Amino acid sequence: MTFLESKFFSGLGLRLGASSISRTSGGSDLDGLEGGVLMSLFWIVIRQLAEIEAMATSKKVITREEWDKKLNDVKIRKEDTNKLVMNFLVTEGYVDAAEKFRMESGTEPDIDIATITDRMAVKKAVQSGNVEDAIEKVNDLNPEILDTNPQLFFHLQQQRLIELIRNGKVEEALEFAQEKLAPRGEENQSFLVELERTVALLAFEDVSNCPVGELLNISQRLKTASEVNAAILTSQSHEKDPKFPSLLKMLMWAQNQLDEKVAYPRIDNLSTATLEDPAA
Amino acid sequence: MVNNHQDLIGSYFLGLWKQNSGTQTPPAEDDEEEEAPTELNTINTYGGFLNVFPDKLSVQYTSVNLHGHDVGVVQANRPAPVKRLLYYFEIYVKNAGAKGQIAIGFTAEGFKMRRQPGWEANSYGYHGDDGYLYRGQGKGETFGPTYTAGDTVGAGINYASQEFFFTKNGTIVGPVYKDVKGPLFPTIAVHSQNEEVRVNFGKEPFFFDLKAFEAQERAKQQMMIEKMSLPQNVSHGIVRSYLLHYGYEDTVKFFDMASKNSLPPISLAQENGCSEQYNMYALNRRKALRELIRSGQIDEAFGKLCDWYPQIIQDDTSATCFLLHCQKYIELVRAGMLEDAVAYGRAEFGRFCVLEEYNNLVKDCAALLAYEQPQKSRVGYLLQESQREIVADTVNAMILSTNPNVKDSQDCMHSYLEKLLRQLTACYLERRSLNGDQGEAFHLRSVLDRGNTG
Repeated sequence: MTFLESKFFSGLGLRLGASSISRTSGGSDLDGLEGGVLMSLFWIVIRQLAEIEAMATSKKVITREEWDKKLNDVKIRKEDTNKLVMNFLVTEGYVDAAEKFRMESGTEPDIDIATITDRMAVKKAVQSGNVEDAIEKVNDLNPEILDTNPQLFFHLQQQRLIELIRNGKVEEALEFAQEKLAPRGEENQSFLVELERTVALLAFEDVSNCPVGELLNISQRLKTASEVNAAILTSQSHEKDPKFPSLLKMLMWAQNQLDEKVAYPRIDNLSTATLEDPAA
Repeated sequence: MVNNHQDLIGSYFLGLWKQNSGTQTPPAEDDEEEEAPTELNTINTYGGFLNVFPDKLSVQYTSVNLHGHDVGVVQANRPAPVKRLLYYFEIYVKNAGAKGQIAIGFTAEGFKMRRQPGWEANSYGYHGDDGYLYRGQGKGETFGPTYTAGDTVGAGINYASQEFFFTKNGTIVGPVYKDVKGPLFPTIAVHSQNEEVRVNFGKEPFFFDLKAFEAQERAKQQMMIEKMSLPQNVSHGIVRSYLLHYGYEDTVKFFDMASKNSLPPISLAQENGCSEQYNMYALNRRKALRELIRSGQIDEAFGKLCDWYPQIIQDDTSATCFLLHCQKYIELVRAGMLEDAVAYGRAEFGRFCVLEEYNNLVKDCAALLAYEQPQKSRVGYLLQESQREIVADTVNAMILSTNPNVKDSQDCMHSYLEKLLRQLTACYLERRSLNGDQGEAFHLRSVLDRGNTG
């Protein structure tokens, strides 16, 4: 029953559960006024229940059985799921796993596995803070990548500056900032902002607690590494993200869209792919 | 219990074989079979006012425009196909005639063929003389530029957004909401003396960059989808369980090694402990059997099964035995040992012919002998990797079913990844059917092929 109704009932000094409504309306020690009030309440409740029922039927319900049938009609080819998995391994850079998967499943990768090793070497170099090494490797791979990607190049240089500061090489850092980064900053406002933030690291004694301290976090290295990884993939005419996570997002989105109109078995836990029976 | 699992699993994989043989067209692919308009319909036009050229792609107004009921209207021979993201067609105005009263748009079946599209209910028309959009009333609304001789004008339907859109010389005009359901025919109209228009239903390249527009519209939807957030490392976990499910042992080993060394390190959530255990069940043996089957060593596979899981091949008429025996036969044919193949067939196929579900499949196998180059025949599919894969997957599922902890045979047949993709496909189909069956469905093939655009 609604909040109003329960308030009403308690106001009347009556404690009613769903079952006791019939008992009290059967009539025991009630006088005319209370009886009349009770009848009105009775009708309120009836009306409410009818409304709820109407709402329930306006949303289409698909039973577990019907849904299972629709699922069984879907044909998924093994070679396609294999390709999806290979695409994941290759894009995420699991070189050895991709090689083994090729042998164990006979699936051909959609990109040359040799290029993955090179790409992973660059990524690893950035993740370990060896930015100079990374830049050299990227240029060996494809000099156009950095030429056509000024933002990436700036971020790599910025990372180099961060590493110099981290290693306490203050003089070198300042020289580097002024010679290599300042000119970039002049060309581009957002670069300038980034440069100022980075140089600010030098001004603080306790870098871990300063406002720009996050630049020294490993997450900054990972961010830059990710950027480089994406740029290399793009230069090889490959999508920079694996397809599978997008499909998972599509599933979540499609289910949300469907929820507005239909009650059907959903998958709430992606990791176990278990179907929940529909709410009705 | 084991037998129940086995039966279900067996019939599932036999079903896969049947699909692989190409005798069943998957329902999802009939999206591509929806027919599109190719030419103008000369049967339902009012011949008195216009002339449709023999190629059925050009129209000329032959009469003299006297009033509002002598419009020369032509519809396409078919309604616009709906099971896709967009539909589009174009016209080129060769001659604007006396008054340039040309129109392009869409009309429903049974349209009054003497009126401009847009002047009657359930029709939409973009008119060249005033640049107005008419959508079912006599009075139009300001919409876009006028157009005349030398212009290429297009009209399209966007099923995702349920809108019409038009183009003039490659630039978009519109869009406008489509509140007409049901099949719509591409329609063109001419109304003053000597007006002449040529239509293009896609045989020639369009002036408007439809592909770019399509990519743009898809990207819009993608943007909304990308906003969804996934639990951390969920893709990683599902990929791993796929590898374990099918017994790709070496791949998993290197996958795990790399995951530990990655930054940040990816640790396996222990909450899925029980499913972990089920996935790892008999991993090494399943890998071994897959290897044997994929390399065509069926006798050895039988041997191992005898040693390790005799219960799977106990029933000599089971689906597993059938698949393995057929594969052995196929391998003999592949190796050119046709006499041995015949002998083998004679020994083994007999008992399978009795059972209905095996009948057609046995016939396919036998048919291999009829061809000098069987790989090019209609039963050539048997010699492909995909057939070995089906047998390997069957054995894999059967072994998984011997795990006493298995409750649902579905778990043995389908990996989580597959279940998720099925759910995705079903949701898209349901969504589309609620939308009057208009729009795109989800096809894994298209998604896989589409990428690599950088």
